[in-house]
Amino acid sequence: MSVGVSLLKKTTIEAETFVQRLDGRVKFLYFLWATIIVYIFFDPLLNLIFLAVTMALAVYAKCWKPIALTILIIVVPWILFAVPILALPLGFPWNKTIIGYINILGKDYPVYLEGLGWGVTWPLRIAVAISTALLFFLTTNQAKLVATMFKMKFPFKLIYMVIATFQFIPLLASEANTIMQAQIARGLRTDVGFVQKIKNYLAVVIPLTLSALNKVQIRAIALESRGFSAPVKKTLLYEASFTKLDYAFLMTMLLVTVFLAWVYVYIGFSPLAHLPWIWSG
Amino acid sequence: MDMVWVKNMEPIIKVENLTYAYPTSKDFVLKNISFTVNKGEVLAVIGPNGAGKSTLLKALNGLVPHFYGGKYGGRVVVSGFEVLNTPISKMSTKVGFVFQDPEDQISGLALTVWEEVAFGLMMLGYPREEIDKRVREAIDYVGLTGLEKRSPFELSGGQMQRLAIATVLALRPEVIVMDEPTAQLDPLGKYEVLSVIEKLAESGSTIVLAEHEIEEVVYFADKMLLLDKGEAVAYGDTRKVVTMVEELKRRGVDPPSVTELTSLLKEKTGVDVALPVTLEEAVKIYSELLR
Repeated sequence: MSVGVSLLKKTTIEAETFVQRLDGRVKFLYFLWATIIVYIFFDPLLNLIFLAVTMALAVYAKCWKPIALTILIIVVPWILFAVPILALPLGFPWNKTIIGYINILGKDYPVYLEGLGWGVTWPLRIAVAISTALLFFLTTNQAKLVATMFKMKFPFKLIYMVIATFQFIPLLASEANTIMQAQIARGLRTDVGFVQKIKNYLAVVIPLTLSALNKVQIRAIALESRGFSAPVKKTLLYEASFTKLDYAFLMTMLLVTVFLAWVYVYIGFSPLAHLPWIWSG
Repeated sequence: MDMVWVKNMEPIIKVENLTYAYPTSKDFVLKNISFTVNKGEVLAVIGPNGAGKSTLLKALNGLVPHFYGGKYGGRVVVSGFEVLNTPISKMSTKVGFVFQDPEDQISGLALTVWEEVAFGLMMLGYPREEIDKRVREAIDYVGLTGLEKRSPFELSGGQMQRLAIATVLALRPEVIVMDEPTAQLDPLGKYEVLSVIEKLAESGSTIVLAEHEIEEVVYFADKMLLLDKGEAVAYGDTRKVVTMVEELKRRGVDPPSVTELTSLLKEKTGVDVALPVTLEEAVKIYSELLR
């Protein structure tokens, strides 16, 4: 299987579930909606609920693994790194409320609620944004994605850039691998120290950049030769249109929005975790 | 497939004193090139690497000068359209371009062979029913029926190049331009692609082809243009050009083996025979000689 195919398999997970059947615009709106709501509130537990709902949808749509892996790689280390720095007395300016003490090397250090809350809430916000965005990309096949973006009045060149990026990344990875092998065959040593390894990367990055530029130009020429810039309305193979399922999903989002608006007004910005307000929260 | 044209003397391509330099090149890469191609003819452009073959082909659909810029002189008229004054998108409906590396032609938006062939038609806004009909015809013509749902990346080199030809055929261009379409292929892939080109030539398509496989091209090319360092060194009937054995070799182009062998034989032995250009002709000539 070529790299191109393996990539295509990675980008879209074809399954017959309602998540895949949802219109791309609805899933894109879900991504924007969830991201905005978890930003408006300042509550890690609420973020966890959004994350759990998104992961449940992902499990149902059979695409939870890449999402979980991405969160594991990006968000978990962030929490592990941010929480100690922010929650311990290391200079986070909004730290006021001590929730306990931690003993490090025989000395007790206070743990602050503000730092802990900030250090957990922000990565979870990002986790919600990433998971909802990936749910959109992984469950919307390319034809539907093009149709969706086209319907959303995105310029066609931008649509092409987004879609083509998914195809070209592994092609470039394969090219980088070939260049690396060529350089090793020409005497590039790999059993070297960190600094030399960085220098070695230059021997790959420079020819890879030139090769990528060349490929981009050739691709642009090929596309032009096939009428890419023709000033006519493009014909799409898939027509994006709303179904009852889409309306039902939108209605659910609307009801949740109304409920959360009520929560925000009457309970506050941190209804579950009851965090104190801090700047940029 | 609705692709049969009759060879006649009406020039569909007229190139007059074409001179061109890329914005980055010091010298002109095409110098005063002139030729015509009639409807239904096959013109093979031959020459060593760097002769200007690809640039010349790109001048036929407007990539030169519209895409590249640079210094341009002379006149190129294809299907009645002066290329200099016609946008590439318009020319793309008149001139279909097949590139050297089939992978470079994959649009990046199509998941399947079917979608890939449909891409150009989609870009030009054809109605869906028309797209469906043309895609089916083009896929059938190049012998890819049954692979419609396959990813373009899963095809072999020869299949991928045939797919590239199908993407061009679907647009039903008046002229098909091919830039060394077999250069990146293994022997089987070359055979598959050359068979499709030969079939196109026999059905009366107008083709301009840059190709190193002269031995194969002589079977279907009506005319040849020998380029070297941007200049047209020889132009005319295929037989006339490929039998210029010494001239071809001096320019770094291999004539057909049978032509070269017979030419050497004539030189060494003084035997008076016509130079064959195909294996079949050589067999006939040598059979008579040995009788």
